[in-house]
Amino acid sequence: MSREAYQIPTSQGAGGPGAGNAAVAGRAVDNEGLPMLYICGDCGTKFPLKRGDTIRCIECGCRVLYKERTRRMVQFEAR
Amino acid sequence: MAPSSGRVPEPESRKTVGINKETVSNTVSTDFPDNYPDGDESWDKDWFAQNLKIEFHQNDDYEAQFSLIGVDASIANAFRRILIAEIPTLAVETVFIQNNTSVVQDEVLSHRLGLIPFTGGKEGIRDWMKWWHKPVEGADQYSTTYDHNTVQLKLQVECTHNKDAAPDEKDPTKLYHNAHVYAKDIVYEPAGAQEQYFSGDNIIRPTNPDILIAKMRPGQVIDLEMHMHKGIGADHSKFSPVATASYRLMPVIKILKPILGDDAKKFQECFMPGTIKLEKVTKQHVKANKEYAGHEGEVMAAVDNPLYDTVSREVLRHPEFEGKVKLGRKRDHFIFSIESTGQWESDELFLESIKTLKTKSQKLQTQVQNMVYTYSG
Repeated sequence: MSREAYQIPTSQGAGGPGAGNAAVAGRAVDNEGLPMLYICGDCGTKFPLKRGDTIRCIECGCRVLYKERTRRMVQFEAR
Repeated sequence: MAPSSGRVPEPESRKTVGINKETVSNTVSTDFPDNYPDGDESWDKDWFAQNLKIEFHQNDDYEAQFSLIGVDASIANAFRRILIAEIPTLAVETVFIQNNTSVVQDEVLSHRLGLIPFTGGKEGIRDWMKWWHKPVEGADQYSTTYDHNTVQLKLQVECTHNKDAAPDEKDPTKLYHNAHVYAKDIVYEPAGAQEQYFSGDNIIRPTNPDILIAKMRPGQVIDLEMHMHKGIGADHSKFSPVATASYRLMPVIKILKPILGDDAKKFQECFMPGTIKLEKVTKQHVKANKEYAGHEGEVMAAVDNPLYDTVSREVLRHPEFEGKVKLGRKRDHFIFSIESTGQWESDELFLESIKTLKTKSQKLQTQVQNMVYTYSG
């Protein structure tokens, strides 16, 4: 499976083909319309980044950034 | 002649498992019909009722120990297996994670949540709550979820800095709020008619509120919901109503020859405390057993309570006790120990296991009858 075809598994069926493509199209904005925030690996501040921005913390200049966890509900069996 | 009249009990020697130095002998039960020329060993209801005994040694809410005397190992084992695997309880089955930035992975966290024992209103859990069934293929995920088969729980905790903590504080639980997430942080959310069964003292709650679920540091969040369903231990051990349900056979210690003086003390130390007592040899002892003659007033070893013995066989290692003691176990005396996880009380659990066995036997009975009707022409 190619990376683009992969969809984050969700239980509600909301993550069908349509929803998945929308997420791919607008990388910087997730499906809830909130800007995608990145977390600095050094100082921990959260800030938005757009396509083409330099990958760098706006506070301390650290080049290690983390993505935030998905805000979608994930379902597990307690087994 | 009634089958039980004139029947004599099986001699002790036939009912005792031999515990020897390196072997175990006489382990199989022999009380079946036509096995001995001197007695009728066929099963008889009245005889069974006369000889069955249940004696409680300990009966706390969640811990019971009792002796079940006069049944075969197959029956005792059936109770044990029913206790572990077939009595239903409520446990967390599905976890809906909105956010989890703690170091515990979602899957591991879900598994941990599933294993937490919960308790609540007995009437609601046992009689009113029904089984949850998986919806058929294509149907809505929650189409079979109702208030009478699902219990909703919520766990929402966020770790933050404690502004009031002393500047040199090192303890994370004081330095931060919610550094430790415990089972008591789980909140029950009543739905529909659950209010009337699970409110006040009957609220659905963890049996042990201090179970540590996860540790967190400032900025980390756990935000999730859980659904609890009824299930049985055969499906997953989280549904098992017991922490342990086990039995052992009653130990038998027979002192064949007098053990006196310092030997008696050594003999006592070979067993668990309370098993062997030290007594003075009296005139009665001498009268009953000539071997005690001339030792009146000396210390002798006597069996106190063999229940406490672990049958370690330590005594058989010492040459001075050789031929003086015989160890064994009573084959029809089961010392049950039932530790409940909180949804049932231990003694109720045993009664419930009897009920379950009875139901299963009745089902088998009709099936056997059908089989006979089918094949007897």
